Amino acid sequence: MSVSSLQRYQIEFCAHARSPKTHPRPAGIAAKRMAVYAQLLFNNMESSLAGCFPVCKKVLGLRRWNALVREFFARHRCATPLFRQIPEEFLQWLQETERRNIPPFLPQLAHYEWVELAVAVSDAHRPVGWEADGNLLAGKPVLSSALMLLRYDWPVQRISPRFKPVQPLADPVWLLVFRDPDDEVRFIELNPVSAHLVELLQAGNFTGREALLEIAKALRHPDPEQVVAFGSTVLSELRQNGAILGTLSCK
Amino acid sequence: MAQLEEIRGAGLGLKRELMPALQAGVPGCIDFFEIAPENWIGVGGRPGKQLAWVAERYPLACHGLSLSLGGPDPLNEVFLQRVKQFLDHYRIPLYTEHLSYCSDGGYLYDLLPIPFTEEAVRYVAARIRRTQEILERRIAVENASFYVAAPISEMDEPAFVRAVLEEADCDLHLDVNNIYVNSVNFGFDPVTYLRSLPGERIVYIHTAGHYRKAPDLVIDTHGETVIDTVWDLLAEAYRLFGVRPTLLERDFNIPPLAELTAEVERIAALQAPYATAIPAVASA
Repeated sequence: MSVSSLQRYQIEFCAHARSPKTHPRPAGIAAKRMAVYAQLLFNNMESSLAGCFPVCKKVLGLRRWNALVREFFARHRCATPLFRQIPEEFLQWLQETERRNIPPFLPQLAHYEWVELAVAVSDAHRPVGWEADGNLLAGKPVLSSALMLLRYDWPVQRISPRFKPVQPLADPVWLLVFRDPDDEVRFIELNPVSAHLVELLQAGNFTGREALLEIAKALRHPDPEQVVAFGSTVLSELRQNGAILGTLSCK
Repeated sequence: MAQLEEIRGAGLGLKRELMPALQAGVPGCIDFFEIAPENWIGVGGRPGKQLAWVAERYPLACHGLSLSLGGPDPLNEVFLQRVKQFLDHYRIPLYTEHLSYCSDGGYLYDLLPIPFTEEAVRYVAARIRRTQEILERRIAVENASFYVAAPISEMDEPAFVRAVLEEADCDLHLDVNNIYVNSVNFGFDPVTYLRSLPGERIVYIHTAGHYRKAPDLVIDTHGETVIDTVWDLLAEAYRLFGVRPTLLERDFNIPPLAELTAEVERIAALQAPYATAIPAVASA
């Protein structure tokens, strides 16, 4: 299929705007004016990414961060028309290809930063029919609809310009990220057993007690009631901080 | 379907930064709000609730950013279906888009200038007609601001705008600031441009501030207060074509609500002398 002269011009125009150093300016356009577009487009892209990934930006430093954004803008073609999903496309792009010019923890750090945005605006429907003060062992605990249980091989929650780990963790870190009833996004670090408990509750078929007995079984604990007692405290805490909304009564 | 007549008077672009102030009390001069569907489609949580709060109380207009009416990619019809659902859900009577493009196989998230050629007229008009078909309503397209004149252009901007409107049979969303911006960037008389537009197609007007980067270069930032010359253009548009619902755009350097209110009041004040001429208002 032949490309029209209109579209050929547009493709050339955009290629230069995305990457002025590698694509020539279309003929007949003043350099000063074309530079306005190159700058506007890059600044837009940079600020929408910097808004979501402030720690990544700080950790990389301005020069490497700008180079990364430029590479993304020049090479990747974003498929989403929705502005808030630009960071998600950046994240996927970052995870897809191995890069030598970025620290190995960066994709996971970026994921950790993106999660806050994703959870804040998630439009997952709130479950209905739960009781806020139901019994967490006898009933089925209902989790906040905007909630993600995350496992990272890097201590993402502690990374900063002053702490850039070079080795992944021996034991992964589990984070529970959720929107509380006031729509605030909260992060809680969980131990592996509590994380397993949340995983079971996410499946939605267990009462609190059944889930804890499953865990006792998995741990081969000699006294399952001890696990239930300990787990009951964990469930109460999760309800207190808003990760658990309440319970569905069992029929 | 919601009626276009619900959008009237003076409006303000809805920004999340303004929500706390608005929820504490919406100034009386604001008759409606405008949103970009690209910033609100599929959004839940606090911003989702804030939008629902506004939608329950005020008429909403939608001004799109990503449709890329002039772009080389196929029209994103999946996205348009989502826009349609969004318009239906919030009962939004007006949807407008830019006479520009923002994609080249992927989105660039800014508005780029369409070369003013015969081919572009036919191409853009066909895409507008298809959009109207999918949305099951007329849309309005906005005269865009730009910084580069395409060397392959075959006509001037107002001729292009008129040709597209006629060929597509759609409405015009007039942006008086964009006329001013382009008049500086390309050295023409803004009033002559304004007079040459088909007034009967204008359904909606934008005004905004900009950034003067050089004597011959203005950047359409929506980050400053509206300048007097642009206010004069708005008054001239009302004089030539009559009053249309008019919105103050402010997307950057967003000041306290009170400062924006003063500008929305200025829109209302320019509209006021024409109020008795509108039968619906006179008989109310």
